[in-house]
Amino acid sequence: MSTTDLDLTVSRIIKAPRATIWRAWTDPRRFEQWWIPAPTVCRVRQMDLRPGGAFVTEMSDDGVAFGPQITGCFLAVDDQQRIVFTDALVAGWRPAESAFMTAVVTMRDHPDGTEYSATAMHGSRAERDHHEQLGFHDGWGTVTRQLAELVEARG
Amino acid sequence: MANHSAALDDAFHALSDPTRRAVVGRLGAGPASVGELAAPFDMALPSFMKHIRQLESSGWIRTRKAGRVRTCTLERRSFAAVESWLDEQRRVWEARTDRLEQFVTTDHEEDPA
Repeated sequence: MSTTDLDLTVSRIIKAPRATIWRAWTDPRRFEQWWIPAPTVCRVRQMDLRPGGAFVTEMSDDGVAFGPQITGCFLAVDDQQRIVFTDALVAGWRPAESAFMTAVVTMRDHPDGTEYSATAMHGSRAERDHHEQLGFHDGWGTVTRQLAELVEARG
Repeated sequence: MANHSAALDDAFHALSDPTRRAVVGRLGAGPASVGELAAPFDMALPSFMKHIRQLESSGWIRTRKAGRVRTCTLERRSFAAVESWLDEQRRVWEARTDRLEQFVTTDHEEDPA
């Protein structure tokens, strides 16, 4: 089973030291300032930087009423190198009600600063819930292709 | 994002049935009346109409009634929606990385914490 069709990676050379980027990521007050685009306000509820530690963020359009954004946990936290988190599990590795993604963030020294990379691997509730009935086994990308083939073969 | 995800759930659920998949497949060849679409199935028309309505409400097809004939047409935008979902996630992460970059390259971040 290949679900790489549901993966995406964003890589960037950022002209800042690795320690600075790490701090922007791991200090809640800093993190809140860039994680979600303004004017939406981000609030970090829990950021327990260790494997199995809670990672809970909320967001708000008016800065008053907050709703859930990420409710998950960290899977790996390697100082100034790597952060892995998912919403498939919550604190203490307890299974979450729904799973959307796992993200792997890495930072490496680069002559111009830091090579920053974020990979997001997505699950699909739809696929999980209806996997058997659908009879499709390779994720949304394949579902889409199969549908396109189904439709275009007749057209 | 939650709404978009719910819409995708609906879209995929609508295809979790062989009758509805067959209808989508048939409509790929062009619009057809409900009568034509129902013909291959050993199914009462009210039951078949439930499938049609589910495909319509989840966005896979459009229907239009002219006189006593209801014609169904494939809504190709639904396919695009599935494909663009990952593009949307990519935009989220690109923009997020832009903001991180801007944040760590501004002067205030250089102050010792």
